[in-house]
Amino acid sequence: MSRNRKRALAVALVAALAAGTASMADSSTDAIRDRQQTMKHVGGAMQNLAAIAKKEAPFDSEVVKKNAGAIAEALKKATELFPEGSDKGDVETWAQPEIWSDRADFEKKLETAEAAAVALQSVTVESAFPPALGKLGNACKACHQTYRRAKE
Amino acid sequence: MTRRSRLRAAGALLVFGIVGAIVLLLLTRPRPLDVSALPAHTPDPARGEVLFHAGSCGACHKAAEAAPGADEGLPTGSAAFPTPIGTFYPGNLTPDPETGIGRWSEIDFVNAVTRGLSPDGTHYFPAFPYPSLRLMPLEDVLDLHAYLVSLPAVRSPHREPDLPMTALARRGVGLWKRLALDDRHFEADPARSDSWNRGAYLTNGPGHCGECHTPRNWLMIADESRHLEGGPHPGGKGRVPSLRGLVERGRYKDVSDLTLALRFGETLGYDKLSAGEMAKIQMNLARLPESDVQAISEYLLSLK
Repeated sequence: MSRNRKRALAVALVAALAAGTASMADSSTDAIRDRQQTMKHVGGAMQNLAAIAKKEAPFDSEVVKKNAGAIAEALKKATELFPEGSDKGDVETWAQPEIWSDRADFEKKLETAEAAAVALQSVTVESAFPPALGKLGNACKACHQTYRRAKE
Repeated sequence: MTRRSRLRAAGALLVFGIVGAIVLLLLTRPRPLDVSALPAHTPDPARGEVLFHAGSCGACHKAAEAAPGADEGLPTGSAAFPTPIGTFYPGNLTPDPETGIGRWSEIDFVNAVTRGLSPDGTHYFPAFPYPSLRLMPLEDVLDLHAYLVSLPAVRSPHREPDLPMTALARRGVGLWKRLALDDRHFEADPARSDSWNRGAYLTNGPGHCGECHTPRNWLMIADESRHLEGGPHPGGKGRVPSLRGLVERGRYKDVSDLTLALRFGETLGYDKLSAGEMAKIQMNLARLPESDVQAISEYLLSLK
């Protein structure tokens, strides 16, 4: 192989590697952004539900159905939002490495939360609302406690 | 150097060393309270239980094998408590005679909580928050003791911390105590409401919030001029938020908002109280009477 060809090959190899790493970084950054966006939606819906529990808003089964439905929908896709390798990226993430090392437990906790959101959707009686919301909140808490780093 | 002057130098060094060692021993010696300091008091375990939860004692003195997120159960100790200087294993607070506090007298317990001293007179490391707990009136400490001895006894042997030169460091804690601790007690502010004072007491005494939320100086002494202002996380990673100006900074709306947050946490969508150590503390605060949580909120929101 001529010296030039060797050099060209080396450059190509480095470029390919760099591109590969960059796209990996991009895809993990995208995943982090995606899930943070999703969690923001979930948090917003949770606030609307909490307002009812705090008596800041009246109980309305339509509002409950809509917000609990949005949470259930988001949680259904949540496992895809934490792909392998997205523990780091160009934006800060609070995801703990145990999400990937204890994957089965992480997914089980997500399922529990999703089931709680689905159950909350069909609450039509006011007295059944606080315990159903509590179940969902506790499911959020159980997962965050283990798998989300504390935020300042 | 002549032989004589060499001998003299060695002698001087020896005297110096002995004097130095005696001074250090004196400066680091334990200073327990005498049994005569105990007040006449009929302990109330129910009040003690409230203090136990206010202090989240069970969050650290828990069993090693407890699953994350599980109910803490009995305060049997031995779960690892990692810090940047080493790992501690909080002790067994159940009344087991061999491994717990079953054989401790009341004054032993008072000295542990308010003086950071074990029954045999050695210093506890201030990972155990006695710098805050010592603000408790002895009546309250006796109530806490009465609650703990009412629990079922569980065998859970003591474990020494994983630290470099543990014995020497332990003795050195005596010197730190001289620098860091005064004989301060909690004093109510007569210009404030009873509820505010109760909140100030729970926050700064048994609740020991300042152990994390007040920054420390280079000697690891809490810098009270920056009381509850937040700072680097004492665990070594991240930061602890400030507890001042919580309304002004838009974190909470008012006392009832913060009270709901502390009582229910993420169950009501307050997601800042759901991760890390604060999640455990929130779950302990949830077990306090509502009036006590409200008192804590009232006090905290008065800090601008």
